[in-house]
Amino acid sequence: MEAIYAIWQRDILKFFRDRTRLVGSFAMPFMFLILFGSGMSGAMSTMLGGEGASGPLSDFNFVEFMFPGIIGMTVFNTAIFSALSVVQDKEFGYMREILVSPMSRVSIAIGKVLGGSTVAVFQGLMMLVFVPFIGISISYMTIIKLFPVMFLVAFAISSIGLLIASSLKTAQGFQMIVQILIFPMLFLSGALFPLSGMPAWMDVLVKINPLTYSVDMFKKIIFDVEQMNPVLVEAMGLNLRIFDHVITFTEEVVVVTIISIVFVVLATIKFSRAEA
Amino acid sequence: MSKIVEVKGLKKNYKDFEAVKGVDFHVESGEIFGFLGPNGAGKSTTINMLSTIVKPSEGKAFINGFDIVKQKNKVRSSIGLIFQESTLDEKLTANENLMLHCKFYGVEKNLREARIQEVLEIVDLTDRRTNVVETFSGGMKRRLEIARGLLHYPKVLFLDEPTVGLDPQTRAHIWEYILKLKEKAGITIFLTTHYMDEAEICDRVAVMDGGNLIALDTPDELKRNVGGDILEVTTENNEEAKKLIKATYLTEVKELEQVLSFHVTKGDEFLVEFIKTFNIPIKSVNLRRPTLNDVFLQLTGREIREEVISQKDRMKKQLRQGRRGH
Ligand SMILES: Nc1ncnc2c1ncn2[C@@H]1O[C@H](COP(=O)(O)OP(=O)(O)OP(=O)(O)O)[C@@H](O)[C@H]1O
Ligand SMILES: [Mg+2]
Repeated sequence: MEAIYAIWQRDILKFFRDRTRLVGSFAMPFMFLILFGSGMSGAMSTMLGGEGASGPLSDFNFVEFMFPGIIGMTVFNTAIFSALSVVQDKEFGYMREILVSPMSRVSIAIGKVLGGSTVAVFQGLMMLVFVPFIGISISYMTIIKLFPVMFLVAFAISSIGLLIASSLKTAQGFQMIVQILIFPMLFLSGALFPLSGMPAWMDVLVKINPLTYSVDMFKKIIFDVEQMNPVLVEAMGLNLRIFDHVITFTEEVVVVTIISIVFVVLATIKFSRAEA
Repeated sequence: MSKIVEVKGLKKNYKDFEAVKGVDFHVESGEIFGFLGPNGAGKSTTINMLSTIVKPSEGKAFINGFDIVKQKNKVRSSIGLIFQESTLDEKLTANENLMLHCKFYGVEKNLREARIQEVLEIVDLTDRRTNVVETFSGGMKRRLEIARGLLHYPKVLFLDEPTVGLDPQTRAHIWEYILKLKEKAGITIFLTTHYMDEAEICDRVAVMDGGNLIALDTPDELKRNVGGDILEVTTENNEEAKKLIKATYLTEVKELEQVLSFHVTKGDEFLVEFIKTFNIPIKSVNLRRPTLNDVFLQLTGREIREEVISQKDRMKKQLRQGRRGH
């Protein structure tokens, strides 16, 4: 237990000491909100309902739509890149200090995943400072609901990160693979634009993408879907379906939990096999 | 005395390359045991096997009575390790590095503070405790690593090239600490080096070359086996002189950078005789006791070549630092 705590603590300590990383992690989502949100909201509204759309669609606010996606993106990025520290520790030698100690490899892997998850949750919650500028209101209840879901998502993604990091020796290699993985996953998750009217093959990719469910959970928590007009719900892509079955929040939690478990087990096995 | 480290037929193959070709030896509890050998001899590989980092291809070894393959965690708790390359977290402070180590090794909570204080005192870093390691000099980092390796009171401390790349003054300092350790903690020290003067300090030295252990004894005994003293001469005509020495004294003569050297017994008496009777004009003579370098030379026919090696190490170190720079 102490081992898990020690590994976790080191990651947290280093995260808060690294100012550039803290600031940098704000810059990216901020840019997305400005560029995509404000800049393209006109175009989006036009696409959805035509100029001066009336009725329920006139309520569509693209920045508002994007916000849960931005939170998702932040959690995702932070969680997966947290595993970079594993590769860096290999490069700078610290991994040997860790691996020659009597700690069990399983504890080390769990500590790493928890460290990454914690940092990612923190970053995700920090995104809520944008709330007043976007013009949505969020209750404390929403934050309390967001917290465990963020953690679950972060845990799943950190595990994927650790699995990749355990198979690689250099930070460059890790960054390359993660970049290749991250963009399609983000674009096909519904984080940045509504996923309606996609070709069938792309729809399949969307449905096997764990991020899709993660982002959808954030949306369901932040937007009060039940109170919204069905037409708007449809337009914002808030009714994720598999074979005409509308996926519920609970099912999404189950899916992401299963993904978490599978990947944390795989990552731990892979990590345990590493020679120092 | 008991055998704290026991090694039986230990081998390591990397693909079809034999890095360590089956070595047998033991280390007595409380001694300073040195591994001497040129680059690529297999010193680090042996240490890495003993410290459970690398899995042996064949053979057995026990540390503190524990099997290095079957009882990894017990072995890990019994040893401290200072690697050839630094393994500190440079973004953290000295204290944070040490505190993490305590946690990794399960040092009891109420003992941690005192232990950290104690090991920092041994290496004279008490006043740098809260500084970030990045700001330390090379020698200070090395000392901090030694301190960290001691935190969990290991039975055996492994030091892989503890002084490589450090200036002579710092090297001397590090040695002071190592000797202090031996006296104070009664800890067994197992180190590798390719500096002859460092090997001299060890209680026993194992000479390694090309993956084989080619000699193991006290430095004095090793040197005694070389036989007598070493006479170095330069002459007007080295070619002729070489032939003449060989013929007259029936001994091997080695030539290195215009200097001829050969073994003689009772060097002082021989020297007088030699100068009187040798009929090729002599430019200079030098009589000296054999060094471990002569031991190595005699065993392998090659020099360990300290200068060349230390240059190479400096380069390695620079490369490493360059890589860390960004
Ligand atoms: N992981 C590895 N894969 C393949 N070959 C290796 C590996 N590690 C070491 N070797 C080889 O094994 C041999 C012994 O290496 P080792 O590092 O043990 O030498 P050393 O005696 O410590 O030398 P140095 O004085 O340079 O530190 C070398 O020829 C090296 O190239
Ligand atoms: Mg070595």
